[in-house]
Amino acid sequence: MMFDNDEDKFAEWLQHAGKTYHDPRPTPRDDMWTRIEAERARRAARRVVELRPWARWTLAAAAALVLGIGIGRWTAQQRTGGPAGTPVAGADTSNRDMVYQVAATQYLSRTETFLTGFRADLRAGRADTRFPGQARDLLTTTRLLLDSPAADDPRMRGLLEDLELVLVQISQLPAARQRHDTDLITQGMDQRSVLPKLRSAIPAGPVPVRTQGAT
Amino acid sequence: MDERDLINRVRAGDGFAERALYDAHVDRVYRLAYRLAGDDALAQDFTQETFIRAFEKLDTFRGESALSTWLHAITTTVVLNGLRKVKRFHKRETDLEAADGVTGGPRQAEPDLKVRLRQAIDALPQGYRTVFVMHDIEGFTHEEIGVALGVETGTSKAQLSRARAKLRESLADFAGEWVT
Repeated sequence: MMFDNDEDKFAEWLQHAGKTYHDPRPTPRDDMWTRIEAERARRAARRVVELRPWARWTLAAAAALVLGIGIGRWTAQQRTGGPAGTPVAGADTSNRDMVYQVAATQYLSRTETFLTGFRADLRAGRADTRFPGQARDLLTTTRLLLDSPAADDPRMRGLLEDLELVLVQISQLPAARQRHDTDLITQGMDQRSVLPKLRSAIPAGPVPVRTQGAT
Repeated sequence: MDERDLINRVRAGDGFAERALYDAHVDRVYRLAYRLAGDDALAQDFTQETFIRAFEKLDTFRGESALSTWLHAITTTVVLNGLRKVKRFHKRETDLEAADGVTGGPRQAEPDLKVRLRQAIDALPQGYRTVFVMHDIEGFTHEEIGVALGVETGTSKAQLSRARAKLRESLADFAGEWVT
Protein backbone atom coordinates (compact mmCIF):
# COMPACT_ATOMS: atom_id res chain seq x y z
CA MET A 1 0.00 0.00 0.00
CA MET A 2 2.92 2.25 0.77
CA PHE A 3 4.14 1.66 -2.76
CA ASP A 4 0.76 2.49 -4.32
CA ASN A 5 0.53 5.62 -2.23
CA ASP A 6 3.99 6.65 -3.36
CA GLU A 7 3.04 5.96 -6.98
CA ASP A 8 -0.08 8.06 -6.62
CA LYS A 9 1.91 10.90 -5.10
CA PHE A 10 4.39 10.76 -7.94
CA ALA A 11 1.60 10.72 -10.56
CA GLU A 12 -0.07 13.66 -8.88
CA TRP A 13 3.19 15.59 -8.65
CA LEU A 14 4.02 14.76 -12.27
CA GLN A 15 0.68 16.03 -13.52
CA HIS A 16 1.27 19.28 -11.67
CA ALA A 17 4.93 19.74 -12.58
CA GLY A 18 4.32 18.59 -16.14
CA LYS A 19 2.21 21.68 -16.84
CA THR A 20 5.46 23.57 -17.36
CA TYR A 21 6.49 21.20 -20.14
CA HIS A 22 6.29 23.04 -23.48
CA ASP A 23 3.81 25.44 -21.96
CA PRO A 24 2.01 27.04 -24.91
CA ARG A 25 1.45 30.74 -25.32
CA PRO A 26 -2.06 32.04 -26.11
CA THR A 27 -3.37 30.65 -29.39
CA PRO A 28 -2.57 32.98 -32.29
CA ARG A 29 -5.91 32.12 -33.85
CA ASP A 30 -6.31 35.05 -36.25
CA ASP A 31 -2.78 34.75 -37.63
CA MET A 32 -3.22 31.05 -38.19
CA TRP A 33 -6.66 31.46 -39.75
CA THR A 34 -5.29 33.98 -42.23
CA ARG A 35 -2.56 31.56 -43.22
CA ILE A 36 -4.99 28.62 -43.41
CA GLU A 37 -7.21 30.52 -45.84
CA ALA A 38 -4.26 31.60 -47.93
CA GLU A 39 -2.81 28.09 -48.03
CA ARG A 40 -6.15 26.53 -48.97
CA ALA A 41 -6.58 29.04 -51.77
CA ARG A 42 -3.02 28.39 -52.94
CA ARG A 43 -3.55 24.62 -52.98
CA ALA A 44 -6.87 24.96 -54.77
CA ALA A 45 -5.28 27.23 -57.37
CA ARG A 46 -2.36 24.83 -57.74
CA ARG A 47 -4.78 21.98 -58.35
CA VAL A 48 -6.46 24.00 -61.07
CA VAL A 49 -3.11 24.89 -62.62
CA GLU A 50 -1.90 21.31 -62.45
CA LEU A 51 -5.01 20.20 -64.28
CA ARG A 52 -4.42 22.64 -67.08
CA PRO A 53 -4.61 22.93 -70.01
CA TRP A 54 -8.34 22.94 -69.57
CA ALA A 55 -8.91 22.91 -73.25
CA ARG A 56 -7.36 19.45 -73.51
CA TRP A 57 -9.61 18.02 -70.81
CA THR A 58 -12.63 19.68 -72.30
CA LEU A 59 -11.76 18.41 -75.72
CA ALA A 60 -11.17 14.93 -74.33
CA ALA A 61 -14.55 14.91 -72.63
CA ALA A 62 -16.23 16.41 -75.67
CA ALA A 63 -14.52 13.88 -77.92
CA ALA A 64 -15.72 11.05 -75.70
CA LEU A 65 -19.25 12.39 -75.96
CA VAL A 66 -19.15 12.83 -79.69
CA LEU A 67 -17.64 9.37 -80.06
CA GLY A 68 -20.38 7.92 -77.88
CA ILE A 69 -23.09 9.60 -79.88
CA GLY A 70 -21.46 8.45 -83.11
CA ILE A 71 -21.11 4.85 -81.95
CA GLY A 72 -24.69 4.83 -80.71
CA ARG A 73 -26.11 6.12 -83.97
CA TRP A 74 -23.92 3.94 -86.15
CA THR A 75 -24.72 0.75 -84.26
CA ALA A 76 -28.40 1.65 -84.31
CA GLN A 77 -28.30 1.91 -88.07
CA GLN A 78 -26.37 -1.34 -88.39
CA ARG A 79 -28.79 -3.29 -86.22
CA THR A 80 -32.07 -1.90 -87.44
CA GLY A 81 -31.31 -0.53 -90.83
CA GLY A 82 -33.49 2.35 -89.70
CA PRO A 83 -32.79 5.99 -89.17
CA ALA A 84 -30.42 7.29 -86.55
CA GLY A 85 -31.84 7.57 -83.09
CA THR A 86 -33.72 4.28 -83.13
CA PRO A 87 -33.49 2.75 -79.66
CA VAL A 88 -30.78 0.13 -79.34
CA ALA A 89 -30.78 -2.50 -76.63
CA GLY A 90 -28.21 -4.85 -75.13
CA ALA A 91 -24.44 -4.61 -75.27
CA ASP A 92 -24.34 -1.62 -77.63
CA THR A 93 -26.46 0.41 -75.24
CA SER A 94 -24.27 -0.69 -72.37
CA ASN A 95 -21.09 0.42 -74.16
CA ARG A 96 -22.65 3.70 -75.13
CA ASP A 97 -23.83 4.35 -71.57
CA MET A 98 -20.37 3.59 -70.27
CA VAL A 99 -18.86 6.19 -72.60
CA TYR A 100 -21.33 8.80 -71.37
CA GLN A 101 -20.71 7.78 -67.77
CA VAL A 102 -16.95 8.18 -68.13
CA ALA A 103 -17.34 11.54 -69.82
CA ALA A 104 -19.86 12.73 -67.23
CA THR A 105 -17.67 11.65 -64.32
CA GLN A 106 -14.65 13.42 -65.78
CA TYR A 107 -16.72 16.51 -66.36
CA LEU A 108 -18.23 16.54 -62.87
CA SER A 109 -14.84 16.08 -61.26
CA ARG A 110 -13.28 18.94 -63.28
CA THR A 111 -16.23 21.19 -62.53
CA GLU A 112 -16.06 20.44 -58.82
CA THR A 113 -12.35 21.32 -58.77
CA PHE A 114 -13.03 24.44 -60.77
CA LEU A 115 -15.86 25.68 -58.53
CA THR A 116 -13.92 24.88 -55.35
CA GLY A 117 -10.97 26.87 -56.68
CA PHE A 118 -13.27 29.68 -57.73
CA ARG A 119 -14.81 29.95 -54.24
CA ALA A 120 -11.43 29.73 -52.55
CA ASP A 121 -10.20 32.56 -54.73
CA LEU A 122 -13.17 34.71 -53.77
CA ARG A 123 -12.62 34.01 -50.09
CA ALA A 124 -8.97 34.97 -50.40
CA GLY A 125 -10.04 38.21 -52.07
CA ARG A 126 -8.29 37.39 -55.32
CA ALA A 127 -9.66 37.88 -58.80
CA ASP A 128 -8.15 35.33 -61.16
CA THR A 129 -8.95 36.50 -64.67
CA ARG A 130 -8.68 32.94 -66.04
CA PHE A 131 -11.89 31.76 -64.41
CA PRO A 132 -14.31 33.16 -67.05
CA GLY A 133 -12.37 31.43 -69.82
CA GLN A 134 -12.30 28.15 -67.94
CA ALA A 135 -16.02 28.46 -67.25
CA ARG A 136 -16.67 28.87 -70.99
CA ASP A 137 -14.69 25.68 -71.69
CA LEU A 138 -16.73 23.77 -69.13
CA LEU A 139 -19.93 25.29 -70.44
CA THR A 140 -19.34 23.68 -73.83
CA THR A 141 -19.14 20.25 -72.22
CA THR A 142 -22.15 21.00 -70.01
CA ARG A 143 -24.30 21.67 -73.06
CA LEU A 144 -23.02 18.59 -74.85
CA LEU A 145 -23.94 16.51 -71.81
CA LEU A 146 -27.36 18.14 -71.57
CA ASP A 147 -28.03 17.01 -75.14
CA SER A 148 -26.74 13.49 -74.46
CA PRO A 149 -28.35 10.44 -72.82
CA ALA A 150 -26.38 11.33 -69.69
CA ALA A 151 -29.11 13.89 -69.04
CA ASP A 152 -31.89 11.29 -69.25
CA ASP A 153 -31.63 10.94 -65.49
CA PRO A 154 -33.75 13.76 -64.04
CA ARG A 155 -31.31 14.36 -61.13
CA MET A 156 -28.36 14.60 -63.47
CA ARG A 157 -30.31 16.92 -65.75
CA GLY A 158 -31.20 19.15 -62.80
CA LEU A 159 -27.56 19.27 -61.69
CA LEU A 160 -26.34 20.01 -65.21
CA GLU A 161 -28.86 22.83 -65.55
CA ASP A 162 -27.71 24.32 -62.23
CA LEU A 163 -24.11 24.04 -63.32
CA GLU A 164 -24.91 25.60 -66.69
CA LEU A 165 -26.41 28.61 -64.92
CA VAL A 166 -23.43 29.03 -62.58
CA LEU A 167 -20.91 28.59 -65.39
CA VAL A 168 -22.74 31.12 -67.57
CA GLN A 169 -22.57 33.64 -64.72
CA ILE A 170 -18.86 33.04 -64.16
CA SER A 171 -18.09 33.13 -67.88
CA GLN A 172 -19.71 36.57 -68.09
CA LEU A 173 -17.83 38.07 -65.14
CA PRO A 174 -16.27 41.36 -66.18
CA ALA A 175 -12.52 41.78 -65.78
CA ALA A 176 -13.13 44.64 -63.33
CA ARG A 177 -15.61 42.67 -61.31
CA GLN A 178 -17.45 44.04 -58.32
CA ARG A 179 -18.10 42.20 -55.09
CA HIS A 180 -21.79 42.28 -55.95
CA ASP A 181 -21.16 40.24 -59.14
CA THR A 182 -19.47 37.40 -57.31
CA ASP A 183 -21.86 37.50 -54.35
CA LEU A 184 -24.76 36.79 -56.70
CA ILE A 185 -22.96 33.74 -58.03
CA THR A 186 -22.06 32.31 -54.63
CA GLN A 187 -25.55 33.00 -53.29
CA GLY A 188 -27.00 31.14 -56.25
CA MET A 189 -24.62 28.24 -55.63
CA ASP A 190 -25.54 28.12 -51.95
CA GLN A 191 -29.29 28.36 -52.53
CA ARG A 192 -29.21 25.46 -54.98
CA SER A 193 -26.62 23.51 -52.91
CA VAL A 194 -24.67 23.14 -56.12
CA LEU A 195 -21.38 21.99 -54.60
CA PRO A 196 -22.86 19.37 -52.23
CA LYS A 197 -25.01 18.00 -55.07
CA LEU A 198 -22.02 17.98 -57.37
CA ARG A 199 -19.85 16.16 -54.83
CA SER A 200 -22.48 13.56 -54.12
CA ALA A 201 -22.90 12.93 -57.86
CA ILE A 202 -19.22 12.08 -58.28
CA PRO A 203 -18.67 8.36 -57.72
CA ALA A 204 -16.22 7.40 -54.98
CA GLY A 205 -12.76 6.31 -56.06
CA PRO A 206 -10.37 7.56 -58.71
CA VAL A 207 -11.80 9.55 -61.56
CA PRO A 208 -11.57 7.63 -64.83
CA VAL A 209 -8.98 9.22 -67.04
CA ARG A 210 -9.24 9.35 -70.78
CA THR A 211 -6.77 11.50 -72.60
CA GLN A 212 -6.23 11.84 -76.26
CA GLY A 213 -3.13 10.13 -77.51
CA ALA A 214 -2.73 8.05 -74.38
CA THR A 215 -1.33 4.59 -74.92
CA MET B 1 -25.35 26.17 -33.22
CA ASP B 2 -25.54 22.37 -33.11
CA GLU B 3 -22.30 20.71 -34.19
CA ARG B 4 -24.04 18.64 -36.83
CA ASP B 5 -25.56 21.77 -38.36
CA LEU B 6 -22.17 23.41 -38.29
CA ILE B 7 -20.59 20.47 -40.09
CA ASN B 8 -23.34 20.46 -42.71
CA ARG B 9 -22.85 24.15 -43.32
CA VAL B 10 -19.10 23.70 -43.70
CA ARG B 11 -19.72 20.89 -46.17
CA ALA B 12 -21.96 23.23 -48.13
CA GLY B 13 -19.08 25.69 -48.42
CA ASP B 14 -20.19 28.22 -45.79
CA GLY B 15 -17.13 30.30 -44.91
CA PHE B 16 -18.60 31.60 -41.65
CA ALA B 17 -19.27 28.06 -40.49
CA GLU B 18 -15.67 27.12 -41.29
CA ARG B 19 -14.43 29.90 -39.06
CA ALA B 20 -16.87 28.92 -36.30
CA LEU B 21 -15.67 25.33 -36.42
CA TYR B 22 -12.08 26.51 -36.32
CA ASP B 23 -12.74 28.81 -33.36
CA ALA B 24 -14.44 26.03 -31.44
CA HIS B 25 -11.49 23.65 -31.69
CA VAL B 26 -8.32 25.58 -32.43
CA ASP B 27 -7.23 26.13 -28.83
CA ARG B 28 -7.03 22.47 -27.96
CA VAL B 29 -5.47 21.52 -31.28
CA TYR B 30 -2.82 24.22 -30.94
CA ARG B 31 -2.10 23.33 -27.31
CA LEU B 32 -1.64 19.68 -28.18
CA ALA B 33 0.56 20.53 -31.15
CA TYR B 34 2.64 22.88 -29.02
CA ARG B 35 3.03 20.41 -26.18
CA LEU B 36 4.22 17.73 -28.56
CA ALA B 37 6.37 19.96 -30.77
CA GLY B 38 7.78 22.30 -28.15
CA ASP B 39 8.18 24.99 -30.76
CA ASP B 40 5.72 27.74 -31.60
CA ALA B 41 6.44 27.89 -35.33
CA LEU B 42 6.08 24.12 -35.66
CA ALA B 43 2.94 24.12 -33.53
CA GLN B 44 1.38 26.77 -35.77
CA ASP B 45 2.36 24.85 -38.91
CA PHE B 46 0.90 21.64 -37.52
CA THR B 47 -2.30 23.37 -36.42
CA GLN B 48 -2.75 24.96 -39.82
CA GLU B 49 -2.15 21.64 -41.59
CA THR B 50 -4.60 19.92 -39.26
CA PHE B 51 -7.43 22.29 -40.16
CA ILE B 52 -6.59 22.31 -43.86
CA ARG B 53 -6.81 18.51 -43.89
CA ALA B 54 -9.93 18.55 -41.74
CA PHE B 55 -11.75 20.87 -44.14
CA GLU B 56 -10.59 18.79 -47.10
CA LYS B 57 -11.71 15.53 -45.51
CA LEU B 58 -14.81 16.65 -43.67
CA ASP B 59 -16.97 14.76 -46.16
CA THR B 60 -15.42 11.54 -44.83
CA PHE B 61 -16.33 12.34 -41.21
CA ARG B 62 -19.19 9.99 -40.38
CA GLY B 63 -19.98 11.22 -36.90
CA GLU B 64 -19.12 7.91 -35.23
CA SER B 65 -16.97 9.83 -32.75
CA ALA B 66 -17.02 13.43 -31.60
CA LEU B 67 -15.66 15.91 -34.09
CA SER B 68 -13.02 16.90 -31.53
CA THR B 69 -11.80 13.30 -31.34
CA TRP B 70 -11.60 13.13 -35.12
CA LEU B 71 -9.70 16.41 -35.20
CA HIS B 72 -7.27 15.24 -32.53
CA ALA B 73 -6.59 12.10 -34.52
CA ILE B 74 -5.63 14.30 -37.48
CA THR B 75 -3.57 16.49 -35.15
CA THR B 76 -1.53 13.63 -33.75
CA THR B 77 -0.95 12.20 -37.22
CA VAL B 78 0.19 15.57 -38.55
CA VAL B 79 2.37 16.33 -35.53
CA LEU B 80 4.03 12.93 -35.23
CA ASN B 81 4.73 12.72 -38.97
CA GLY B 82 5.98 16.30 -38.94
CA LEU B 83 8.21 15.70 -35.96
CA ARG B 84 9.77 12.69 -37.64
CA LYS B 85 10.71 14.96 -40.53
CA VAL B 86 12.32 17.57 -38.29
CA LYS B 87 13.68 15.13 -35.74
CA ARG B 88 17.34 15.83 -36.43
CA PHE B 89 16.88 19.55 -36.36
CA HIS B 90 14.73 19.39 -33.26
CA LYS B 91 17.19 17.13 -31.44
CA ARG B 92 20.08 19.46 -32.22
CA GLU B 93 18.04 22.38 -30.94
CA THR B 94 17.15 20.54 -27.73
CA ASP B 95 20.78 19.59 -27.19
CA LEU B 96 21.87 23.17 -27.64
CA GLU B 97 19.26 24.36 -25.16
CA ALA B 98 20.35 21.74 -22.68
CA ALA B 99 23.98 22.78 -23.11
CA ASP B 100 22.98 26.37 -22.46
CA GLY B 101 21.16 25.40 -19.29
CA VAL B 102 18.03 27.40 -18.60
CA THR B 103 16.53 28.89 -21.75
CA GLY B 104 13.48 30.81 -22.83
CA GLY B 105 11.63 33.38 -20.74
CA PRO B 106 11.85 33.99 -17.03
CA ARG B 107 11.81 30.73 -15.12
CA GLN B 108 9.90 30.12 -12.00
CA ALA B 109 11.06 28.20 -8.96
CA GLU B 110 13.30 25.10 -9.15
CA PRO B 111 14.78 25.80 -12.57
CA ASP B 112 17.00 22.75 -12.42
CA LEU B 113 14.04 20.46 -11.76
CA LYS B 114 12.10 21.96 -14.67
CA VAL B 115 14.98 21.54 -17.05
CA ARG B 116 15.53 17.99 -15.89
CA LEU B 117 11.83 17.23 -16.19
CA ARG B 118 11.74 18.61 -19.73
CA GLN B 119 14.79 16.59 -20.68
CA ALA B 120 13.34 13.46 -19.11
CA ILE B 121 10.04 13.85 -20.99
CA ASP B 122 11.86 14.64 -24.24
CA ALA B 123 13.92 11.48 -23.77
CA LEU B 124 10.86 9.23 -23.55
CA PRO B 125 10.15 6.99 -26.53
CA GLN B 126 7.77 8.78 -28.90
CA GLY B 127 4.78 6.57 -28.06
CA TYR B 128 5.23 6.97 -24.30
CA ARG B 129 5.78 10.70 -24.58
CA THR B 130 2.67 11.20 -26.73
CA VAL B 131 0.43 9.32 -24.32
CA PHE B 132 1.99 11.02 -21.29
CA VAL B 133 1.55 14.51 -22.76
CA MET B 134 -2.01 13.82 -23.87
CA HIS B 135 -3.13 12.22 -20.60
CA ASP B 136 -1.14 13.77 -17.78
CA ILE B 137 -0.59 17.22 -19.21
CA GLU B 138 -3.48 17.91 -21.56
CA GLY B 139 -6.07 15.81 -19.74
CA PHE B 140 -7.25 13.52 -22.55
CA THR B 141 -8.93 10.30 -21.46
CA HIS B 142 -7.48 6.94 -22.43
CA GLU B 143 -10.49 6.42 -24.71
CA GLU B 144 -9.78 9.67 -26.54
CA ILE B 145 -6.10 8.81 -26.81
CA GLY B 146 -6.95 5.35 -28.13
CA VAL B 147 -9.07 6.81 -30.93
CA ALA B 148 -6.58 9.57 -31.74
CA LEU B 149 -3.60 7.25 -31.94
CA GLY B 150 -5.46 4.24 -33.31
CA VAL B 151 -4.53 2.01 -30.36
CA GLU B 152 -6.47 0.07 -27.74
CA THR B 153 -7.35 1.82 -24.49
CA GLY B 154 -5.27 -0.77 -22.65
CA THR B 155 -2.24 0.11 -24.77
CA SER B 156 -2.65 3.75 -23.83
CA LYS B 157 -2.81 2.84 -20.14
CA ALA B 158 0.22 0.59 -20.39
CA GLN B 159 2.25 3.24 -22.21
CA LEU B 160 1.35 5.85 -19.61
CA SER B 161 2.39 3.52 -16.82
CA ARG B 162 5.74 2.85 -18.52
CA ALA B 163 6.25 6.55 -19.21
CA ARG B 164 5.70 7.38 -15.55
CA ALA B 165 8.05 4.62 -14.48
CA LYS B 166 10.78 5.92 -16.77
CA LEU B 167 10.26 9.47 -15.56
CA ARG B 168 10.41 8.38 -11.96
CA GLU B 169 13.69 6.66 -12.67
CA SER B 170 15.08 9.70 -14.50
CA LEU B 171 14.01 12.06 -11.74
CA ALA B 172 15.08 9.89 -8.81
CA ASP B 173 17.32 12.73 -7.56
CA PHE B 174 14.20 14.77 -6.92
CA ALA B 175 12.27 12.10 -5.00
CA GLY B 176 11.86 14.48 -2.11
CA GLU B 177 9.69 16.73 -4.25
CA TRP B 178 6.80 14.33 -4.50
CA VAL B 179 7.32 12.35 -1.32
CA THR B 180 6.79 15.52 0.69
